[in-house]
Amino acid sequence: MDSLKQDLKKQIIEQLNLEDLSVEDIADDALLFNDQGLGLDSIDALELIVLLEKYHGIQLTNPEEGKEAFKSINTMAEYINKRKAA
Amino acid sequence: MKVITAYCNLSADECLLNGDVVARRDAGSEDSWFKQIYRQQGLGYPKFYKMDGLSQAGYLASELIKKASPGISNTYTDDEIALVFANASSSAETDRRFMQTYEAGGSPSPSLFVYTLPNIVLGEIAIANKWYGENMFAVLPKFAPGFYLDYGQILLGSGSRALLCGWLEVTANTTDVFLFLVEERESGTEFNTENLLHLSQATSVATF
Repeated sequence: MDSLKQDLKKQIIEQLNLEDLSVEDIADDALLFNDQGLGLDSIDALELIVLLEKYHGIQLTNPEEGKEAFKSINTMAEYINKRKAA
Repeated sequence: MKVITAYCNLSADECLLNGDVVARRDAGSEDSWFKQIYRQQGLGYPKFYKMDGLSQAGYLASELIKKASPGISNTYTDDEIALVFANASSSAETDRRFMQTYEAGGSPSPSLFVYTLPNIVLGEIAIANKWYGENMFAVLPKFAPGFYLDYGQILLGSGSRALLCGWLEVTANTTDVFLFLVEERESGTEFNTENLLHLSQATSVATF
């Protein structure tokens, strides 16, 4: 799980072109779409959907699922594990 | 009279506020130069990390100007501060990076695409401060005081009470940033061609 979270952070930095950020800058529980967290926006949500498919082979089609899954690194990792186990 | 009440110069290795060095680049740091300034200044705006170089430079310099003039947000209503920026290379650096995302066989990056216009930096500053005043970004061959003076006069005569102006040339090889705040005062550094040319070239004595 921890290695998945580390991978997710690297993939987010790569996919969203956040070169100034390092893995250490992103806390597992930081809110991704909050100004106190990563401050992502709707464009970035698209990038996260692409990221899930590109790196994890998961297609996210239900916006409500995305809302929950993209809350933080923790919820993204949980979502990926849940989808892969299904 | 209209005077320049604060100014910020940002080059490839130092950052000056009102002529005083506030940050020097640490060549040994793994952080980018703009990230070094962001951290040194204790800024807390995570959206900074998403911005392209042009927007990061504009954001940093505007935050420093606010540090030098902390009252500006209280002195003016949210539509009384106009933003007047210019540069020579538009958003070419980000345009190139965006092009690479799809030319290299991948897909176009939406997060880069949103920065493929130079005036996005104005939006970033406006959003960060909730300023809704006039704004303009011009692409000019070189820093031209007359542009700021002429356009500033029009804005100050039509509802704007302060101008945050800037020359923002940021490319892979160039960091040439000069932001300045123009306000109404009884005395001070007059908003004129001579002063703009002089202040735009400010560097620390230590660099000579």
